[in-house]
Amino acid sequence: MAQQHGIIVLFDVENALKERTLAGNTYWFDNMKLFGSAGVGTEKLVTIVPGTYFSDGSQATEQVLNWLPAALGAIPPTVPRNYLAEQERADDRRTLDELASLDAEGGVEEADVKRLQRRVGKRARPGTGRGLTEGKLLDVTGRTTGSAAAYNYPAPVITDITGQAVVEKIMYPAQYGSPDMIYDGWYWAATVDTSRPGVYPYTMHVQLHELVEQGGEMVWRSVDLTCESSLKIISDPKRNGFTGAGLGELPLPAVPAAG
Amino acid sequence: MPPKSRQAERRPARPVTITAVVDPVAALASENLDDNLYLYDTNRIAGSSGFGTPALHSRVRKGDTLLWNVIPLECETFVALADIEIDPRIAEPTRKVYPGTDIVFWTAEVKQDLTEPALYRLSFLLGTVGTPFTPNARPALAGAAGEGKERR
Repeated sequence: MAQQHGIIVLFDVENALKERTLAGNTYWFDNMKLFGSAGVGTEKLVTIVPGTYFSDGSQATEQVLNWLPAALGAIPPTVPRNYLAEQERADDRRTLDELASLDAEGGVEEADVKRLQRRVGKRARPGTGRGLTEGKLLDVTGRTTGSAAAYNYPAPVITDITGQAVVEKIMYPAQYGSPDMIYDGWYWAATVDTSRPGVYPYTMHVQLHELVEQGGEMVWRSVDLTCESSLKIISDPKRNGFTGAGLGELPLPAVPAAG
Repeated sequence: MPPKSRQAERRPARPVTITAVVDPVAALASENLDDNLYLYDTNRIAGSSGFGTPALHSRVRKGDTLLWNVIPLECETFVALADIEIDPRIAEPTRKVYPGTDIVFWTAEVKQDLTEPALYRLSFLLGTVGTPFTPNARPALAGAAGEGKERR
């Protein structure tokens, strides 16, 4: 099997929530530009899927795709998996330490208390969204914030992959759990039937989250939107990746060249 | 309800984030970072241009907080923003890490409104290569030309 494709979808979450559409607010990437993917870094990605066949005409490879969503203007997905929870706990510890160190005998400065009150931050309830837990609001640099306008957007969640490529059984997408330390242990992947060359569009269903005030509480509200991309499946005879020629042994010299 | 003009003047609570999406494997294989670097920012509505290219022009105003960060296309391969070279009269970026991690980001405050685009230079560390990679194309900070004229 060829290397797995990674497809990253970067969402301009702030504008997408404002405009209630992913059109113009989505940037697609894959790691196959060298092999012929088109529109990498734009809204119109066509992912190349190089299929191969053996000399007898039978299918030689399948292809595996992986999709990973990311939010523009947020803490990047490269921070550790439990980063937000760790930050919340570390911040609580610091606040408690400082609270304990306020000197009650000499009188507690009101300014100190106010400062600590701000440090405590605000919590937001998960509401109806997927993949969210109750937690403190962090800003985009990873610090607690009390401002509902400065919070870090939660990672977008892929909820489904549909469309022609799925209906025609070109690919079989599903969500998988994994010990991957970066994407919260869940990711969408698909295997592709490479025996039918052609261009096949598909639709990605994505859930974004916005913070709203509800009955005096901060609650995450889910916003479901869709965006589109395509697979371009080609088929070539299977060949040796080192020599470009037919299958067989590598043309290594029996004795290494001198020098 | 406050008048609209006051709302427009209010500074957003979030920084203007400039994100570099890097395909480190392709950049290392082809020794060409320009073709494998895609820059974006959160100010498209305000007029930023050049999205998805290494020559992004970010529309900024005096007093804006800027934040640069990196998203690698291959999470297994190391990418970090090593340096930002820009006229210190316009901004003086400082290197920071997300608390409790070694993931780097840079921040700066825009010191003046710009009448002409101020080009700057980004350098990246890729994989295990010790020398930073610097793309030939240069991004820029740009002011709001129309607004500048109105203020005179």
